[in-house]
Amino acid sequence: MKDDARLNEVAQRLGGHAAQRLDVEATARKVVQRLRDEPAHRSTWIQPAWLRIAAAVVIVVGGAFTLRQVWPGSESGTHVAHFVADDLSDLSTDQLREMLSLLDVIVASDSVAVPESSTDLRELDAQQLRAVLRSLEG
Amino acid sequence: MAQPHPVPAPSDTALIAAWQAGDEQAAAELVRRHARPLARFLAGAGAPEADVDDLVQETLIRAFRSVDRFRGQCQFRTWLMTIGGNVLKDFGRRIARGRKIMPLDDGVRDGAGDPHDHAEANEAEALLAAGLKVLSRLQREVFLLRAQQGLEYEEIAAALATTAGAARVHYHHAVRRLKEMVE
Repeated sequence: MKDDARLNEVAQRLGGHAAQRLDVEATARKVVQRLRDEPAHRSTWIQPAWLRIAAAVVIVVGGAFTLRQVWPGSESGTHVAHFVADDLSDLSTDQLREMLSLLDVIVASDSVAVPESSTDLRELDAQQLRAVLRSLEG
Repeated sequence: MAQPHPVPAPSDTALIAAWQAGDEQAAAELVRRHARPLARFLAGAGAPEADVDDLVQETLIRAFRSVDRFRGQCQFRTWLMTIGGNVLKDFGRRIARGRKIMPLDDGVRDGAGDPHDHAEANEAEALLAAGLKVLSRLQREVFLLRAQQGLEYEEIAAALATTAGAARVHYHHAVRRLKEMVE
């Protein structure tokens, strides 16, 4: 198979068996049936757009969080913390617990001031829960 | 009495337009015209023979659903083969994730003629098939479009969004590597 002509000859035969085996009429019927039964899913093309949007949201939120970690005393961070702190006063004990449960992963980090005597959030009273949440604000 | 002139077959472009207008028979006719060459291309590009039928169907479904993006930059058949290349790539990924093991291509076995000649022919095809699997996807597709399908470099270039010169270079690299591998 060293010369081009021989290579081309073999290449032209390649796949010939698969092509001969193919039932063209049955393929035509199945393709038409599938086109009829399975309308085009636009979501196939929308999905990447949603992924891009989700990625952008993650970058923005993650970036903001990182900035707050790097400059915890910055003016914007204090401003946000002020409003969050105000909102915390309006929450009931159950609402505070629910909120903290959602933040379990963050609570596990060393930067959070959980009272030393407590290992379970359910043991904390409203005041202690607020203190934990405020410590999360940096 | 004058012989009636045979009605010329509608062009692919006319059939595509008819399909877009809702004519299912136009789609069926396009399948009849192009399914076999597409099967040959897919099998040559490494599709397991047992899966060629499904891969042909999948390629055609994808093509009909995105036919709005076919601008006549190349022949419809060539465009189908580029879509087939993508379908085959996705299939390969599924295999790589462990869904199934890719069987070796059986090659051509028509059972007629001298068994020695057939054994030699099968060996040559098996060697070429193995060599093609080692090439890059672009080299493999350019080689098959040129050597198996007999297309001009301009047509290949239009289908693969490259230049005729680049297609020629890919083809020659593919041939050189295939010759080295089968020596």
